[in-house]
Parts: sequence; C-alpha cells; structure tokens
Amino acid sequence: MTNTVTLNHLGRSVFGGLGNISSGSLRTSLDSTWNNFLSQQQQRTFIQMRTVLKVVDNSGAKKVMCIQALKGKKGARLGDTIVASVKEAHPNGKVKKGEVVYGVVVRAAMQRGRCDGSEVKFDDNAVVLLDKQGQPRGTRVFGPVPHELRKKKHLKILTLAEHIA
Amino acid sequence: MRLEKCWFCSSTIYPGHGIQFVRNDAKIFRFCRSKCHKNFKMKRNPRKVKWTKAYRRLHGKDMTQDSTFEFERKRNRPERYDRNVAENTLKAIKKIDKVRVDREARHHALRMKGKKAKEQREAAKELEQSIHMVKAPAVLQQEPSLTLPKIKVKVSQQQSDENHAMEE
Repeated sequence: MTNTVTLNHLGRSVFGGLGNISSGSLRTSLDSTWNNFLSQQQQRTFIQMRTVLKVVDNSGAKKVMCIQALKGKKGARLGDTIVASVKEAHPNGKVKKGEVVYGVVVRAAMQRGRCDGSEVKFDDNAVVLLDKQGQPRGTRVFGPVPHELRKKKHLKILTLAEHIA
Repeated sequence: MRLEKCWFCSSTIYPGHGIQFVRNDAKIFRFCRSKCHKNFKMKRNPRKVKWTKAYRRLHGKDMTQDSTFEFERKRNRPERYDRNVAENTLKAIKKIDKVRVDREARHHALRMKGKKAKEQREAAKELEQSIHMVKAPAVLQQEPSLTLPKIKVKVSQQQSDENHAMEE
C-alpha cells in the first residue's frame, strides 16, 4: 500500500517536472520568436570580413562589404577605418560596383565606451568612404555621426555631418 | 559634466553609468541601467510601466506641477565660473531638495488620507478574529481586560449544559 503510494508520488512529481520543462521550453521558444519579431535589434559585434555596411555619403556606393579591418584583431569598431568592396552602387556615381575602397565606420551597432564612462551605440552599421589619404570621397554625409571622429582626425566628416551625436 | 535623465524611468544618470542609444533620426535615448534599456528594446511604453516616473506622474501618484521643478530645467548656455555664485547655488540646491521632498511627502499624505474609518474597522475585526494568535483563549477568559467589551447574550441553562457535554 505504502509502496504504491510513494511510486505514485514519484511518478506525479516526475511527470510534473517534465510537464514544466516542456511548457517552459515551448514558452521560451515562443518568447524568442516573439522577441525576434518585436525587437529586431542589430547584432552588436565587431565589423569584420563579410560585414555589409551602409554607405551614408553621396559618393555613389550604397552598400559595401568589409574585407579587412585595418586595426584590431577582432574587427573594426566605431571610428576605425576598414577596407571594403562595393557591393551595390548608384548607377551614375563616382564609385562603381566591385571597387575596393577605404572607409571609416561612422555608426556601429556595437557600443563604444566614451572617456566619461558612458557608452554609445547606434541603430545600424554605416561607413563614409575615404581615399587613401583619409579625406572623404563624397560631399555630403547623412545621419548622425559620433564625436569619436574628432579624435581620429576626420574633421571634414564632422563639418559635413548634419548631426553630431 | 551633465546629469542626464533616463528616458525610460526618469532617474538621473550619473557619469560613468548607462548607455546612450542614437537612432538614425538623430534622437538620443539615454538609459540609466540595462533594465530600462531592455524594456526599451522590448518596445514598452514607459507610461504604462508601473515603476517609472512617467507612469506615476500620469496617474497622479507623484507631484506634477511645482515651482521646485523650474530650477531643474535644462540650460544650454555655459555660465562663467564665479565662486560666490557656485557656493550659493550649492546651498540653494540643498534647500530646494529639502523643500521638494517635503512637498512630495505632503502630496503623498494627502493621497493616502481618508482611510481612518476603514482602518479602524479592519483593526477591530482583526482583534476579534486573530487574538488567539497572540494570547491563549483561556487567559482571555480569565482576564476580561484583554478582550474587547463583548455584548452579553443570554443563554439558557439547558443549552450550556449540553455544550459542556459535547466538549467532554
């Protein structure tokens, strides 16, 4: 009598545990899909090889793919220069598709620490194309740009920018 | 150095804390900690989230209009440093804080007022029902001063005899 009672208890607890796990996993998978749908936030990692970035000047390119981050082992961050290949371009622009260009990252989804201890992050990854000397190739820059460009001596971009974050 | 306000919970963000998110339309959202940041990413409306200042102000739980708030408005003009002005400002900040806290306490007291009758009723009921948790019923019967004045009900002698039989 007592043995069956204890077995029943065990069975019920195990089943209850299993039930909990299954319902929990269901909920988490639903939650994750829901969160993915809702948040759709940018991945917050370095800019490395094969990262596609938006071009925010009027040099003619629209999207570039990073080939090399010129400083940093893990990848480029906000304010670093990269070597990139133009993947998508405006039909009549200075820059053509398939060209290898240099660019400076002006917006990065990955947060960058500021010297006062706070952190900044942007909504997307964006570059401004440069020439070999570091001067911008376009004449306008769209969207906000960070202060960090001042330290990296990209003052021309700062003057062209419409908003400095 | 500038003390910002968190976009979500409206608390002050001290230097070295928090994350600043810049949206592509150049609107800057500052968050004091990851709790607020995560709520923002979930696209929650701070006016609907109970613990934020926005909710509390909207639902009248906290003061909305007060002259002490005028002192905290954002000023974009840099002031030339003057030692006396700085000293007086620091003293004033303390005093204004005290005044604001006093007014908020008054607002809260005003909000919580008007429950005396209800509290009395609840206390009486609790005393009646749960006094056995504090003092044993046997002691209460012996010392009549510990109980509330009871209304005397006349019980016939026969009924009391029956009760005694049942208890045994």
